[in-house]
Amino acid sequence: MENILSVLIFFPLVAALLGFLVKPQSIRAYGITVAAIEFVLTLWLWMSFDASDGGFQFIEFFPLVSSFGINYYLGVDGISLFIVVMTALMTLLGIVTLGEVKKLKNMIISLLFLEVAMVGVFVSLDAIVFYLFWEFSLVPMLYIIGYWGGEKRLYAAIKFFLYTFAGSLIMLVGMLYVAYVYHEVTGNWSFSLTDWYALVLPISVQKWLFWAFFLGFAIKVPMFPFHTWLPYAHGQAPTIGSVILAAVLLKMGTYGFVRFSLPMFPDASVAYILPVGVIAIIMIIYTAMVAYAQKDMKQVVAYSSISHMGVIVLGTFAMNPEGIAGSVFLMLSHGIVSGALFLLVGVIYDRRHTKLMSEFGGLAAVMPKYALIFGIMLMASVGLPLTIGFVGEYLSLAGFFKVSPVMTALGGFSVILGAVYMLSLYKKSFFGPVTKEENKVLPDLNGRELAALVPLAAIVVWLGVYPKPVLGPIDTSVKALVQFMDTKAQTPEAKRVIHVSKSTKEAK
Amino acid sequence: MIGLSHYLILAAILFAIGIVGVIRRKNLLMLFFATEIMLNAANIAFAAISSYTGDLGGQMFAFFIIAVAASEVAVGLGLLILIYRKYGTLDLDNFTMLKG
Amino acid sequence: MEGLVYTALFAPLAGSLFAALFGMRPKTLLTGVVTSLLLLVSFIASTALLWHVMHVGPVHVKLMDWIVAGDMSIPFGFNVDQVTAVMMTVVTLVSTVVHIYSNGYMEHDKGFNRFFSYLSAFVFSMLVLVMSDNFLGLFIGWEGVGVCSWLLIGFWYHKPDVTRDENPSISPSWAANEAFIMNRIADLGMLIGIFLIYWNVGSLQYDAVFAAVPHLSHALLVAIGVFLFIGAMGKSAQFPLHTWLADAMEGPTPVSALIHAATMVTAGVYLVIRAHPLYSAVPGVGYFVAVVGTFVAIFAASMALVNRDLKRIIAYSTLSQLGYMFAAAGLGAYWVALFHLAAHAFFKALLFLGAGNVMHAMHDELDIFKMGGLKKVMKWTYIYMGVASLALAGIWPFAGFYSKDTILEVAFNEHTYGIWFVLWLTAGLTAFYSFRLVFLAFWSDERYKCYGFHPHEVQRYVLWAMFPLGLLAVIFGWYKEEFVDFVTGLLPAYEVSEHTHHMLPILVTVTLAIAIGGIVVAYVMYHKRLKRSEKVEASLPYRILYNQYYIPILYEKVFAKPYAELSDIAWKEIDLQVVDATVDGIAKVVEESGDATRRMQSGNLSDYLKWMAGGAIALAILAVIVVANG
Repeated sequence: MENILSVLIFFPLVAALLGFLVKPQSIRAYGITVAAIEFVLTLWLWMSFDASDGGFQFIEFFPLVSSFGINYYLGVDGISLFIVVMTALMTLLGIVTLGEVKKLKNMIISLLFLEVAMVGVFVSLDAIVFYLFWEFSLVPMLYIIGYWGGEKRLYAAIKFFLYTFAGSLIMLVGMLYVAYVYHEVTGNWSFSLTDWYALVLPISVQKWLFWAFFLGFAIKVPMFPFHTWLPYAHGQAPTIGSVILAAVLLKMGTYGFVRFSLPMFPDASVAYILPVGVIAIIMIIYTAMVAYAQKDMKQVVAYSSISHMGVIVLGTFAMNPEGIAGSVFLMLSHGIVSGALFLLVGVIYDRRHTKLMSEFGGLAAVMPKYALIFGIMLMASVGLPLTIGFVGEYLSLAGFFKVSPVMTALGGFSVILGAVYMLSLYKKSFFGPVTKEENKVLPDLNGRELAALVPLAAIVVWLGVYPKPVLGPIDTSVKALVQFMDTKAQTPEAKRVIHVSKSTKEAK
Repeated sequence: MIGLSHYLILAAILFAIGIVGVIRRKNLLMLFFATEIMLNAANIAFAAISSYTGDLGGQMFAFFIIAVAASEVAVGLGLLILIYRKYGTLDLDNFTMLKG
Repeated sequence: MEGLVYTALFAPLAGSLFAALFGMRPKTLLTGVVTSLLLLVSFIASTALLWHVMHVGPVHVKLMDWIVAGDMSIPFGFNVDQVTAVMMTVVTLVSTVVHIYSNGYMEHDKGFNRFFSYLSAFVFSMLVLVMSDNFLGLFIGWEGVGVCSWLLIGFWYHKPDVTRDENPSISPSWAANEAFIMNRIADLGMLIGIFLIYWNVGSLQYDAVFAAVPHLSHALLVAIGVFLFIGAMGKSAQFPLHTWLADAMEGPTPVSALIHAATMVTAGVYLVIRAHPLYSAVPGVGYFVAVVGTFVAIFAASMALVNRDLKRIIAYSTLSQLGYMFAAAGLGAYWVALFHLAAHAFFKALLFLGAGNVMHAMHDELDIFKMGGLKKVMKWTYIYMGVASLALAGIWPFAGFYSKDTILEVAFNEHTYGIWFVLWLTAGLTAFYSFRLVFLAFWSDERYKCYGFHPHEVQRYVLWAMFPLGLLAVIFGWYKEEFVDFVTGLLPAYEVSEHTHHMLPILVTVTLAIAIGGIVVAYVMYHKRLKRSEKVEASLPYRILYNQYYIPILYEKVFAKPYAELSDIAWKEIDLQVVDATVDGIAKVVEESGDATRRMQSGNLSDYLKWMAGGAIALAILAVIVVANG
């Protein structure tokens, strides 16, 4: 299959359109089937991916607007491959766990459209196509939050939309400016990322562009102080919305840093390690504290997401293969773990229609399976070795240590504070005596929930013990990326900070 | 000798009259007259400059405007009649459906 | 040999997974039996490896790659050398005993299967910790034992939180979280140590790191040594991260015996011994380690003097003995530390298991003031605990005598007389509080009768299970020479100077004297009956000791409460009032400016035309200006 990436984009699109014709009673089976096929296709993509090649593979190219250099240009490398796989997996499991909601049909069709946008973002190699998918992803999410959300859903949905939209527009201006500069230099228009990579920008231009892109990505991540849309979005979104939001949509921001900022503006990225690092540390410590203060389980997980994204940002700006590979791996592991945690919160919300920790207590005795899986995810979330959470967190911090030991020590508070809020959540909800009558009869996980959660728990352990199948391709691509940044870097500072691995040097 | 500037001054005066009419008059019919005056002011300028530069494009454009204005009046007057039938008045101050 | 290594390592994991299959079902005796048998297998394999290392040499195996990114390549590699072989044998022996013991102890517990699953998982983690051939592998075990400890301390998670006056540990789940978080603080230090090693050596394999030690700068070695020791301080509960250990006594008693006495808490000591080439290169850090250890030795012993809680007393004594080990390791006598570690594992586990018997007999009553005279009804338990206490007090010819005495010799030999004196004094305190416990529980008047207890001896097989520990608590010290010969194959041999050698008889006498003195004082005070003095108990020193120097309360007031309050402020005052309010403020400015300019849109066509004409004129003027200037 030469056009596997197009298939991955257009199959859910066609399926979503056809979904309008499907009868409401069979829409669940339809949705699961489509998502499962999509997931199998991504697995196929993974299997046929050449792990030894750090460049883009499965490239598809044909001109859309040739006079402006806008092309339908797709490709994946080790960095984006697994995010695509994870997107398909989380969509599938999200649909599997969907409970009885109003207008299930609309929900599933929205999710399929969302999947189109998400896959599209991660496989696009043309800035305009990337931007189209990037913005298109907002629309189904707006609908999901705005229609199926909680009491303040409209406020949350509009805030989410406008905030991220405002950031993206600034990013768009940045993109147009890069294209303009490209035109000035070469005389041709091009929005292809690979062309842009080859463009060596003056330092002053890089610095401006860095912040333009930064704003778009930072709001998406979300980085402090642009994070306040997230608690509302998570607080109001239905479970499935939170899962997709935390697992995939946030990753678009950090993916943007790796895909755009680092290779296009290596000098500016190095120059701004300090401010970005400080923001990341504030994210880590400050949001961990805010998470600890929460009374609502879901808000704890929401703020914990921000805190973990801080570690990802630190790893991304480590400028060495260890850190960047760690941050990419952490994107995946955070996607899986936070997705699972949101699913788990959804499970209890379905049963009790509340997420307040004070309403629970002693759940471990009533729902042992639930407590077990929650416990596994909790340990993965605090970064226990041999769970998926450790590998990325360790590598990210280790990588950033090369840049700044002091900042890493501060960022490392993530391992302490993460344990503080997660364990206190677990203690409040699962330990102690069962105080509320209605909690004594809660049913444990049912088959549908287990079908989604057990695979996630298995992945958490599998990739924690044996991360190589995933970490290997990531590492190859990241080494190539760092090598590229090193050759492109102009300032002596950037030359010094960007750390090419020894094995790459020897290969040269 | 009547030169180009005379024509242009005439056109400017007519255009000013038209603008004042557009701004000041409250009757939709009068507004139409005012716009016609402005269009004709433009036509005079076109024709004059065309003759001055020897380029027929300007005169052609003037004819084009006359044609458009004619059709516009036809449609516009039809609408006016409809409005008058519906509201019984052509006074602009009564039409504030677009108020924000 | 690979097979033996993997058998020793994975048998407990297999047991754990097997028990986990039954984890949510009611008690199945099978899980207890299977896990115990698998532990026995692991013990036999460990002993075989010990023999192999002794006669053939160390074994090194690599299972597979774990993390490979950039230049970092971390394998699952296992290395069985002298130190590891000793640790493995000690760990698996004590674990096997504890597993068999738990079959009896947890007999009536609803979570029987779950308990064995956790317990075996712990042994697996502990084996990973001691067998790994690199620092990150050690860290896996390090965190793994932390989680198992969390699970097991909080095993009776259903108990509610109570006030500190009622129960100083508040609740099992609280104590579990405290232990985990305290350890995490230390783990951050250890991670930083690991990062330092990685970026300066380029590898985390022990052999590569230790080979590189001579090439590293002194400041760097100091930093690495200190950060690794911070990690060790957490796991081994050294001051100021010590409060969790006493609270960890909320866990079932076999857990206290295995994790919080014999094995996990000695992981810190193991780390220092393992990293001995590093610590030998920076004696200053070693001295710091020794001072911390010495301080903890007397600090913990002092708290044990007045406590009434059976398990807490033993927990403080564990702390205190860990201090001894760090003192020895810090002073460079690594094999002595390891020797004391092993001896301590045997007699302390025995002591805890004996305490478990007492608890069982007394229906979980822990107050030794409510016991007394138990030796009549619990003869064997009494003998075991007596032996263990003699060993702990360092009385000849029990195991503790040899190990503790050697530590004191080392302290003397190094001319660190301050350390020697404090440790010597602590030996007296140790003897006193150990026998205070023995006399109050087993001798003196039978106070339990007033409280309506009917104590009885535990099952016979449980007593038999404890026998190996009892035997080793007596005879382990006799094999000191063989032990030294064996472990100095890896660790530096420590020779005392001529001068110290001459002093030895005096030193031994003095040490024995203070230990016996401690016992005598305890005998005089407590062997007949419990004498309580209101005045003493109300006195300030007593209250300070009884309340653990008020440190837990201090931590709560200085760290826990302010952190919670600060978090609340961060959320309600900063996040909602400042950050989010700014965002909403910007949105509001846009909205209100829209509202203000809305009036332009009156709906009146002539108004629009006016705006239009005004705009056109403005543009025309602008154009004129631009043209005029351009």
